[in-house]
Amino acid sequence: MPKQKLNPLPSAAFHILLSLADGDLHGYAIMRQVAEQTGGRRRLGPGTLYSSIHGLLAEGLICETTPPGKEKTGEERRRYYRLTGAGRKLARSEAERLAGLVRIARAKRILREDYV
Amino acid sequence: MSEKLIALLLRLYPSGFRAAYGEESFELIRERVRHERGIVARLRLWFDLLADLGMMMFRGFEDAQAGFASAGASADGVPSFHLLPGDSPRRGAVFFGGIITLVTLMALPSSFRRYTNDSAGAPPFPGSMGTSLPRPAIDFGKDSPEAVFAAVKHRIVEAAIANVKEHYVDRSAAEAVAETVGAHERNGDYSRVTDGRTLADVLTKDMREVSHDMNLVMVYSDQPLPERRAVDPEAIKRYRAAMMQENCTFENVEFLPHDVGYVKLNSFPDVSVCEAAATTVMQSLNHAHAVIFDLRDNRGGFPEMVALISSYLFDHPEYLYNPRDNTSERSWTRSPVPGNRLADKPVFLLTSARTASGAEQFCYDLKMLRRATLVGETTRGAAHAGVFHRIDQHFGIGIPEKRPINPFSDHDWEGVGVEPDVKVDAAVALERATGLAERALMKK
Repeated sequence: MPKQKLNPLPSAAFHILLSLADGDLHGYAIMRQVAEQTGGRRRLGPGTLYSSIHGLLAEGLICETTPPGKEKTGEERRRYYRLTGAGRKLARSEAERLAGLVRIARAKRILREDYV
Repeated sequence: MSEKLIALLLRLYPSGFRAAYGEESFELIRERVRHERGIVARLRLWFDLLADLGMMMFRGFEDAQAGFASAGASADGVPSFHLLPGDSPRRGAVFFGGIITLVTLMALPSSFRRYTNDSAGAPPFPGSMGTSLPRPAIDFGKDSPEAVFAAVKHRIVEAAIANVKEHYVDRSAAEAVAETVGAHERNGDYSRVTDGRTLADVLTKDMREVSHDMNLVMVYSDQPLPERRAVDPEAIKRYRAAMMQENCTFENVEFLPHDVGYVKLNSFPDVSVCEAAATTVMQSLNHAHAVIFDLRDNRGGFPEMVALISSYLFDHPEYLYNPRDNTSERSWTRSPVPGNRLADKPVFLLTSARTASGAEQFCYDLKMLRRATLVGETTRGAAHAGVFHRIDQHFGIGIPEKRPINPFSDHDWEGVGVEPDVKVDAAVALERATGLAERALMKK
């Protein structure tokens, strides 16, 4: 079976990029933020969350960071993640791509004008 | 949902994933278990976890990584990811996953009951040290869960060393502690430790062996340790209201036969809130021929209140040893108190195994100064001399940052308690002390 190409960006990865737009978060906080921004419909399990994080790190779309004031004594050594410039750019492209799709759906009258 | 079950569940994830994110996944599931309560939320959590596990079993960790790694700009200029492998899932993984799903579903009802019971327990007091609640030992299997805990151990040992080096008042002892604990870890002496509580105990023992300081303590708490916060004005308001309502924890003040004053005091409250109440109580006892302080339910409080009450029991300033503060002019009682007549009256302190912290300071100092007769049980043994440093949700370390002079002995009551002069069951301590007081008064 040939590898399937997923285009667009997996929605989990896109949600993670969006969740980091306002500031650095650790894994559990990302999960909470994603749940919040999807009205509780999307709750990332550990496998999905950290696999996505792993891939995003490898691509340089996010990076690991230490929260300020926590370096010295190992207090709360959870890994925090930050959106990189490339990550922000990719999130914007993806959002624009989705907006383009919405425009098409409207033109085809699949989506009404007042629908956000 | 027990930690064992979480560890078991994580064992089903691909080994590469566990090695990279096992510890964080463990914490993530634990956080979700803690926050998502109720049957519906719990069922949803299980559904999420099993779906997530299924997805990981089919996809695998490395494959997902490879998919990401091949991501790049696609033909239309929009970056994209390649994902999902073409490989079939491993047969073993599917079989093992099926078995564990069945077992998990069968264990579901008991896990609900267990969680309900677990959540009924009150969390430990934020500043309390040595509070370790019972915790089921996590069964870290042969591979990754063990590696997960090994990573936790390493992190905790590193944090303990860093904290001791930074905060411990005795610099040379701090270096010695750091060196010894580091050497123990390098020698693999902690490799057999498989749970947090044992790790805390072993680290405490090793730190004390070098420092000979019973106030140096590693703490493990099954319940999450609250994060340190700035002083909350609301909390102060609540404390003040509670003290007003509880008469500053002076539960009972009365005169027993033969004019023996009896004070049941359940804490040593903040002087800034309760000075007037304490002064009123002590003045009301002024014509007593002996005083019994009932500290059997006293869990401690503020050293300033210990000093304030003690001031009435001496006719000259006396040095009180307070393990939490450097020796200064505050270490002496403000005796004599004008108009006070209690300085030469016999004093009895009722103790129990619950008598703790500040109450133990009162007992220890009055016993060492031979000013009171302690009747009851050996006290709890919580000097709370160290400043508590939270390392993570479950580990913290108490480190003495002050060095007061203890003129009475080399060790205070940390870990051993204060021995009573008359050892009797706490339940009959009042009766025995009343008898002793009356006998003392008859001799006069």
